[in-house]
Amino acid sequence: MNPTDQLASAPLMPFYVAAAIAAAGLLLVLRPGRAAMRRAGAVIGLAGFGMLMAQGLKLAGPSDGSVSTPFYMAFAAIGVIGAVRVITHPRPVFAAIYFVLTVLAAGGIFLMLQAEFLAFALIIVYAGAILITYMFVLMLAHQSPEDEIGRIGAEDYDRIPREPLVATLLGFFLMASLGSVIERAPELAMENAAIAQSRATADRAAALQKLPNTMLQQAKAKEPTATGLARDAGGLASATDGAMVQVRVNAEGDAVRTVQVNPADAVDNVQMVGLDLVAKYPASLELAGVILLMAMFGAVVLARRQIELGDDERRKAAGMGSMVLDVPETERGGA
Amino acid sequence: MMLPSLMLALNDAAAGHGSLADAVIPKAVAAPELRWAGWILLLPAISAVLCTLLAVLRTKSKLPALVTVLSLGTCFAMVLKLYLSRGPDAGPVVVHLWDWMNFSWGGGPWKSFQADISLYIDSLTMLWMLFVTGLGTLIAVYASEYMEGERGAGYCRFFFGVSIFLLAMSALVMADNLLLLYLGWEGVGLASYLLIGFYYQKPAAVAAGKKAFIMNRIGDLGLAIGIWLIWVNYGSIEFNTLFQAFGDAARGVGGWDRSLIPFCLMLGAFGKSAQLPLFTWLPDAMEGPTPVSALIHAATMVTAGVYLIARMQPLFTLHPDAMATVAWVGALTALLSATIGMAQYDIKRVFAYSTVSQLGYMFMGLGVGTAFGAAYHVFTHAFFKALLFLTAGAVMHGFAGQLDLRRLSGLRKVPGFAIVSWTMLVGCLWLSAFPYTAGFFSKDLILVQAMSQPRFQVLGWIGLITAAMTAYYTFRVWFRVCAGPVSYVPGEDAHAHDDHGDHGHDDHGHGAKAHDAHAGEFHPHAPRFAINGVLLLICLGAILAGIPGIQALRGQHNWVQEMVYHSSAVRASGVDHVTTPVAFGLDPHGVVSVFGISAAIGGILIALWLHLLDRRMADRIRTALLSNGLTRWLPTSMENKWYFDEIYHALFRLPMWITSHLLHFFDRHFIDGLLVNGIGRVPVMVGRLFQPLYNGALQGYATSMAGGLILVLAWVAWRWLGAGGVS
Amino acid sequence: MMHLLADAAPAMAPTQGVTIALVLSAALFTVGLIGFLVRRNMILMFLCTELMLQAAGIAFIAFGRMRMDTSGQVFVIFILTVAAAEAALALGLVVLLYRRRETLSAEAWQELHEQ
Repeated sequence: MNPTDQLASAPLMPFYVAAAIAAAGLLLVLRPGRAAMRRAGAVIGLAGFGMLMAQGLKLAGPSDGSVSTPFYMAFAAIGVIGAVRVITHPRPVFAAIYFVLTVLAAGGIFLMLQAEFLAFALIIVYAGAILITYMFVLMLAHQSPEDEIGRIGAEDYDRIPREPLVATLLGFFLMASLGSVIERAPELAMENAAIAQSRATADRAAALQKLPNTMLQQAKAKEPTATGLARDAGGLASATDGAMVQVRVNAEGDAVRTVQVNPADAVDNVQMVGLDLVAKYPASLELAGVILLMAMFGAVVLARRQIELGDDERRKAAGMGSMVLDVPETERGGA
Repeated sequence: MMLPSLMLALNDAAAGHGSLADAVIPKAVAAPELRWAGWILLLPAISAVLCTLLAVLRTKSKLPALVTVLSLGTCFAMVLKLYLSRGPDAGPVVVHLWDWMNFSWGGGPWKSFQADISLYIDSLTMLWMLFVTGLGTLIAVYASEYMEGERGAGYCRFFFGVSIFLLAMSALVMADNLLLLYLGWEGVGLASYLLIGFYYQKPAAVAAGKKAFIMNRIGDLGLAIGIWLIWVNYGSIEFNTLFQAFGDAARGVGGWDRSLIPFCLMLGAFGKSAQLPLFTWLPDAMEGPTPVSALIHAATMVTAGVYLIARMQPLFTLHPDAMATVAWVGALTALLSATIGMAQYDIKRVFAYSTVSQLGYMFMGLGVGTAFGAAYHVFTHAFFKALLFLTAGAVMHGFAGQLDLRRLSGLRKVPGFAIVSWTMLVGCLWLSAFPYTAGFFSKDLILVQAMSQPRFQVLGWIGLITAAMTAYYTFRVWFRVCAGPVSYVPGEDAHAHDDHGDHGHDDHGHGAKAHDAHAGEFHPHAPRFAINGVLLLICLGAILAGIPGIQALRGQHNWVQEMVYHSSAVRASGVDHVTTPVAFGLDPHGVVSVFGISAAIGGILIALWLHLLDRRMADRIRTALLSNGLTRWLPTSMENKWYFDEIYHALFRLPMWITSHLLHFFDRHFIDGLLVNGIGRVPVMVGRLFQPLYNGALQGYATSMAGGLILVLAWVAWRWLGAGGVS
Repeated sequence: MMHLLADAAPAMAPTQGVTIALVLSAALFTVGLIGFLVRRNMILMFLCTELMLQAAGIAFIAFGRMRMDTSGQVFVIFILTVAAAEAALALGLVVLLYRRRETLSAEAWQELHEQ
């Protein structure tokens, strides 16, 4: 089997073809040319991306019956369109606004992937804070030029892309390489599904043990007479038997009841993230704080007005005498 | 004739010592009570340090001379005390002063190396030390007046050099191991270099210093290899151990490298003592101040080679071929330099060639087997040659650097130069081996020893011819300079005369500049107390040096003989007496003395005729020789030193010059050009290749990074994730 | 509200959805890279790096979902932090650079030595 045949028979071949089509479309969009050409490019590119997603679905195997797949695809399409506009729009402010679109689409995907906290955090932090900063800087730094009749144009360096062919080629190769990761992902997910499932359940059960209020709330839903969690010498008297948590509560009278609580219902994703953040990765959390602090210092230092000091001023600041000895006192210093 | 019978008596005396000589060299005993002898090394060192300090303090006084004279005089006194406390026939002792090198890497022979700063004191050491320190002191006194024109930094420098020389020479002579000897050997070489180049602003002096140093290096290389071979073969470099080892080695057979040892040592000795292959530096060394010529290049340092071979006599005895080589080299050097000396016009150069010639005699003496004769000749020569140089220095001092014997005449009648003239006469008589002078006795001992061995008889004849030549050129100088009508042309230093700034410029006697214009105003600068006093003292020493000779003649035990016979030089060899009782069918002593006396007197008479009675005759002979095509080579080659410098130039310097230029070419164009710069150019060219990538555009770099990232990612995907289902 | 769009938790991971998210992540990263290479405006180049960070975040979330693990989300929180810090500093630098050359073009800074 010669290499060409090998490549042709590779399961990823359609993926590569789709990536190539998408890249070709992107190239057409990037190249400054006629609007029709660019529109055609947009269509080709979108088709290519659609093929990529279709290939992804094919790789993912038969449908699991989930209804959310079209939503995924829609958000993905919106995100990619936004991203492409970011890199193609001749006016920077618009590019930034399209970035917001991408962020929103990513937020949607996050939401569907059960990362609710991050979905909103992303939108707030990125779309709300970072992108606004970008826009401020864009506006502070530069005003787009106007032509003779007052139309707002774009700077040459914003209009004309730099080496689009090379960049697109590189992008194609990158996409093709990443294809192998995407190819293997569903397979690995299937293989580890059972383990992942049981570990996730155990994680949630363990997490529930750390959340007595949630536990009591859940128990009350099952056992309305419960007054509080039962305690023994070792602390809370609840126990877990794998999937379910046996919560022992003090009921009416002095009776102690055992209530079964499903941790999957009891602990939501946001709680899990919060617990992970403070219980599993506290040092990283601190580190993130330090990074932000440093960034703040850095920003302050950068934002300060730079005053050019002469040699004499610098010497004076260091506590040394002036180098020029015969200059009268009155003439010393000064900018 | 009374001499033959006297000589017979000497023969008996020598035979009497023969039994002594056969004895094994006694093992040296440690003598910690003599540790004070270390001051003999320390005092010159202190003096050197003080001279440096005085130079730093910018002294203008004669303090450096005072310091040096005091320390050297104390040294002499200590040597004298040491000698008197030991007596002439005491055995060798080792005085350990300080640890120097003491390595051991496992037990057994050849597993340790010891070389301490220790003194090996036997009578040979004492003999050398006595005249080295004694003459050193006297010449320092002389120099205090001679060098007074240099007062200041130069004065300090001069006496620093003298102190360093005495330090190194003492270390050389008193060392108990070859490494310390080598240290001293290099030290005297350094001192010699520093003092020859004393007038460092004079190109000739600098060149002479370099020449001496380089020539000596060639010899020193031989000595170093010899010392290494000795350690490899005998496992020690300490004399005490070595002399015992030589005794054992005499019964064993050595390899080729063992036979090489004496030749290596010889090379060192010939370099230091200016013998045949390496002699050309000594005449040039006369560029140094005259006291230096007298002390270092006539009396003491140049006898270090003789000392080395005398000291290693037990080793040389094991190799008869080496002994013969020493004898032949000595004899040929003596003859050759005598012929050159006959044709020189510069007084100091004549004396320099006579030094080379006399050193040849000494080596001949060592080679033919009379260490006594050689050592005695060293001893007597030290006095009369120092005397001659000092008188030459006084003449130079007085006549503004004039040393051309054609431009000086009748000095004995010039006021103030009487002592100089008459002491020079003493020196000349002694050098030409006039009967019953010290030089006569010492030279005679060597000649007798050579004549009485059939295989060395040729050397004896060469020695006799040389003796005649020596007498001739010595008295050529005296008759020209001191006798005859008073007339002189001052040297080129005349302008400096008034402020006593004249110093040893000695090589311009041949200069074409006429100084007749100055002659009317010029007043010779007569030597004063220090120079005259020293001349008289050394003259006295030279006369007294003959006493042992007279004693030897009378068959009495004499001082030098005792000294030599009680040292290792003779005890091991056992050949220091006449082995064949007859030469030419007669008693050798009688015959040889007659020949020797005839040669000396004949030479003096020829000199008297050619250079005093009929001075034009010498020129006429020279012109006649030059005009005849057949004989023209003789005077020209003699005057041109047999073209030795030119031959060396053609044989060594020129090929080296060519080789060095070839190598330089090779180095510049191949090593530097092709290899060094070529290799350097490879990255430059590779850089040029990739230069467009580094255009400063951020995205350009990002492209490279992304490309690399993608390559890595693709490889990882292919290799581990099995992209394309191929894995 | 929690299950509005997501599949019932903690059911098995939605393979198709995760794969689409991964394709999106790869595409965003690629577009971000291409954008970094083709755009000349320094601010937009930084925006493209934000795009790439975004892609990384999506990949983290997707893999985390696949493995039913919340660590991926924690990482994205750090990515947000770093992105914020980077935005602050990088934009500060860009403003400084702009003050010197009065242009936002990265090509104004091709000379590697200071003027």
